[in-house]
Amino acid sequence: MSVAHGLAPARPRRWRSGAGRVLAGAGLVTAVALLPWLSRTDPALTVLRARSADQDPSPADLAAVREQLGLDEGPLAHLAAWLGGMARGDAGTSWVSGEPVLPQVTGAFGVSVTLMLGALAVTVLVAGLVCARTVFLGSRRRLRQDRVSTGPAVLAALPKFLLASLLATVCGVWLGWFPSSGWEGPQSMVLPALALGIPSGAMIGGLLDQALPAAFHEPWARTWYSVGFPPGHTARHALRRALPGVLPQLLPTVVALVGGAVAVEKIFNIPGLGRLALDAAIAQDLPLLQTATLALALLGMAAGLLVGALRHALLGRPLRDGALPALHRPALPQGRALRWVAGSCAVVLLGLVAAGLLRDPLHVDTVARLVPPSVAHPLGTDSLGRDLLARLGHGALRTAGVALAVTAVGAVTGLLLGMVPQVSAGLTEAAATLPAVLAGLLTTAVTGASVWGAACAVCLVGWSPYAAQSAALLEQERASGHIAASVSLGAGRLHLLRRHMLPALVPALLRNALLRLPTTVLVLASLGFLGLGEQPPTPEWGRLLSENQPYAELAPWTVLGPAGALVLLSVLAVSGTALRQRSA
Amino acid sequence: MRTPSRGLIAALALTPLLAGCFASGQSDSSSGAGSKEGAAGRLRVALAVPPAQALSPYSNDATVLSKLSVAEGLTALDEDGAAAPALARSWKRNDATTWTFELRKASFQDGTEVTAQSVVDALDHANEAETKPRVLSDVSLTAKAEDADTVTITTKSADPVLPLRLASPALAILSAKAYAKDGTVSPVGTGTGPFEITRLSGKTSAALTRFDGYWGGKAKAPGIDVSWIADGTARANALRGGDVDIAEWIPTAQAKLLDKDTRHEVPSVRTDSLVLNTGSGIFTDATLRAAAREAVDGSALVDSVFGGYADPAEGLFGPAVPWTAGKRVEVTGRAKAATTAQVKAETKGKTLRLATYTNRAELPEAASVLQQQLEKAGFRVKQDVREYTQMEADLLAGKYDALVFSRVTLLDTGDAVAYLASDYTSDGVYNIAALKDSAVDKAIRAAAEESDTAERQQKIMRAEAEILRTDAVVPLVHEKAVQGIAPDVEGVLLDPRERSLIDLDTHLK
Repeated sequence: MSVAHGLAPARPRRWRSGAGRVLAGAGLVTAVALLPWLSRTDPALTVLRARSADQDPSPADLAAVREQLGLDEGPLAHLAAWLGGMARGDAGTSWVSGEPVLPQVTGAFGVSVTLMLGALAVTVLVAGLVCARTVFLGSRRRLRQDRVSTGPAVLAALPKFLLASLLATVCGVWLGWFPSSGWEGPQSMVLPALALGIPSGAMIGGLLDQALPAAFHEPWARTWYSVGFPPGHTARHALRRALPGVLPQLLPTVVALVGGAVAVEKIFNIPGLGRLALDAAIAQDLPLLQTATLALALLGMAAGLLVGALRHALLGRPLRDGALPALHRPALPQGRALRWVAGSCAVVLLGLVAAGLLRDPLHVDTVARLVPPSVAHPLGTDSLGRDLLARLGHGALRTAGVALAVTAVGAVTGLLLGMVPQVSAGLTEAAATLPAVLAGLLTTAVTGASVWGAACAVCLVGWSPYAAQSAALLEQERASGHIAASVSLGAGRLHLLRRHMLPALVPALLRNALLRLPTTVLVLASLGFLGLGEQPPTPEWGRLLSENQPYAELAPWTVLGPAGALVLLSVLAVSGTALRQRSA
Repeated sequence: MRTPSRGLIAALALTPLLAGCFASGQSDSSSGAGSKEGAAGRLRVALAVPPAQALSPYSNDATVLSKLSVAEGLTALDEDGAAAPALARSWKRNDATTWTFELRKASFQDGTEVTAQSVVDALDHANEAETKPRVLSDVSLTAKAEDADTVTITTKSADPVLPLRLASPALAILSAKAYAKDGTVSPVGTGTGPFEITRLSGKTSAALTRFDGYWGGKAKAPGIDVSWIADGTARANALRGGDVDIAEWIPTAQAKLLDKDTRHEVPSVRTDSLVLNTGSGIFTDATLRAAAREAVDGSALVDSVFGGYADPAEGLFGPAVPWTAGKRVEVTGRAKAATTAQVKAETKGKTLRLATYTNRAELPEAASVLQQQLEKAGFRVKQDVREYTQMEADLLAGKYDALVFSRVTLLDTGDAVAYLASDYTSDGVYNIAALKDSAVDKAIRAAAEESDTAERQQKIMRAEAEILRTDAVVPLVHEKAVQGIAPDVEGVLLDPRERSLIDLDTHLK
């Protein structure tokens, strides 16, 4: 395919992806501008609420707000006025505060980007540590046993807000090493950057660690080893081969933190863009929300272009000339530890669920509140005296089921969109930086509050990591020599897809999806305040974590149980699929 | 890792460029109030609700101005909730609708004098604000300067609580400089209080210095550094980590983590109650409302959900409104409660839609407890919990059967009638219970028209009894606020009305 028109003029392609980006950005901003009219929630009421929380919503006051904001002119007039202003570099004034929007957005944007860069540094560090063993052994040709490390799965499953609470309490309050909140200098950046960077680093490192053995088993590495090149040299080139497939993941994992780190911004009281956009969305402060959305979309696209350029620089001429050797994971004997890990995770989880299902998850007993683990309550009780084991057990099926379904839909959508990268690049980048809350609001606008709303909202943005990954891997695969050979032997598109593309793509995609499973659980629960998803008191793991978060220090068992269960699920998913792939 | 480290270097090289972002809050602190740590004895305060409209007195932010003693009105409220002199030295009621206020000699923080004309201008601006401050919503007043220090205020209809009304922070008197042509109002350097705002950095922080020309003398603290921390846990952490001296509204889940001598509880004028929708759905039936009332036990929430920081409900008004205690009227004539069997029969196939909101952390927990209590009485309950603005329109449209509601019972006027009128009269704008009961309307109107304080209080309690008779609302608990105050701070005001916090005498030991 790509080989067939490998030298096709670059211009139409750039033009197409450029148009895709403009369309995606325009679509997003328009959707946001229509939000109040779609959801039929009167902005006058929400703006009044944001200005004065206890104000009685009298018709006269609402009319005054409506007139002041020009709401009766309708969404399009408002959008046109805002766009006209944007052309002059004026983003208008906030509906709530009446102050100019642009300084607020640029200020918060700067804060968030700084924090994101800090998180990026931590991510790179953690990813490096995760891959260190593979790099060390691989560069010395001692990579004899296949080992799916479960460490990254454990770290990647840690909820960021829990990590943030823990760091704020331990390093901020108890030890006093860093300020527990605020944004007053580089020292206030350390804890939030760690809270955001550790799970992201584990995710990126986990993916890289998966791709590295293939690079180390390419013929050049063997030759270099036998010639006696230093291991460092080999390691560098192996990374250069494996990195381009992983780099696009930085976009939805790290760059997305600019708008998507609301929970951590709250815990550390950081005046970032995530909170600004959330407040604007809740108050339906459209000028502010549109500007913030636009800034995020532009950031996503700029980062997307940068990552693309970096990938091409790393892969260089072979990619353009269709002479890229394909990376295929070597068949190594499998360690026995993996079986043990998968087996014990499954047994513990099944045990928890079975024991939990026999108990009542909804029974409130205000006398037995926050009871530590005991014989009567093996995992303790929550703030209302409900048995945590019961809540975990009853929530397991629903939580895992919905999260798996959402992940599957996201992965398939991402795969399909990843096949038409020129068209979807803009959309992928915009969706990657779009906060899930905004997707949630758009969903509520269309469907109203509903049980499936949260799943729909997450599907709306959740596909972007997989689309980015598919697009990158497919591009590399198309440029490989054996595809050229197949094409010259007369292979059709379908054959190529079935026999070459998908087999190369699916394992990496699967691992990515499974590493993201816990995040999906948490994001699903984080939309509850919009009325999306199952309503309380239905037990659900994400909700268990968020409703017990305030008690994390007073009664740590209330969050340890659900967090541990999430980690077990993640490790089981990752090691279980690794086992199946090997045995298949 | 050659290439990524290059990227890292690039990222790190960018960091200094972006480091300016840290300073966005602090950039002009050195030029403004003097360096932060430089001045010893400055109070560091963490407030909970970030400014919505740059501290405009016509918004939510008004209470900040009174909490930090930045601006004052003609009157103030004393501990019992009665009007006390502030910028007005004294006042008298000439007839039903005219009052004369004598001003004291005071000056604004920008150096100009407080005159009768400046008071008239300030009140005119409040009257003409695009969205009228709530305190003026049920009254129309005109102010006139008689001479340099006498102001006459005329109301359209008789307003017995005018002096209380004028104590509202929304009616703070600011200097002419504060009022911009476009209708915005800035209290920065324009108030009359003992502390002057010198810098306001967006929604994150503000710096205040002592105003030496204050008529009441010099404040003991040289200044205040305010930071807004919306998250309750973060506020508690800031206090525990020693980053601030005073942190308001510590959530009950965090209160136990504070040292005993830093945690101070104040009865709050907030009452949490279960509001039943009398206009549509299952609770149009008075016997079912009575059944719900009997099923619900608010005292079960006190030690559990509120961790002891609440009092069991006695009525609509709690211990924070001290005069209610001796004046409570017994509730008579309630409907007879349906038995569990009757409830089951009558609500057959219908679920009770129980709503509450996430903005106050205790409410969703309370809802889960209430759900169990209601289910015991035979109801089938389904919860709907969202952010408040996500459900307010539905609430006002009567789409729920019951709401767990936390309500401030003394609004801006400091007078209880305003709350009763907006929430329980047939034409009340905040009547979530959709109550239409002529006896209730009559009782509230009678209280509103009464000008004698003691008699008014008695009539308010009679109106309360009338409202409780309908079972449209079941009071659950009276909240207590927990204020976190470091042991070396003296003289912090613990105000149930959440209007004052720091004044002349507040200082570090």
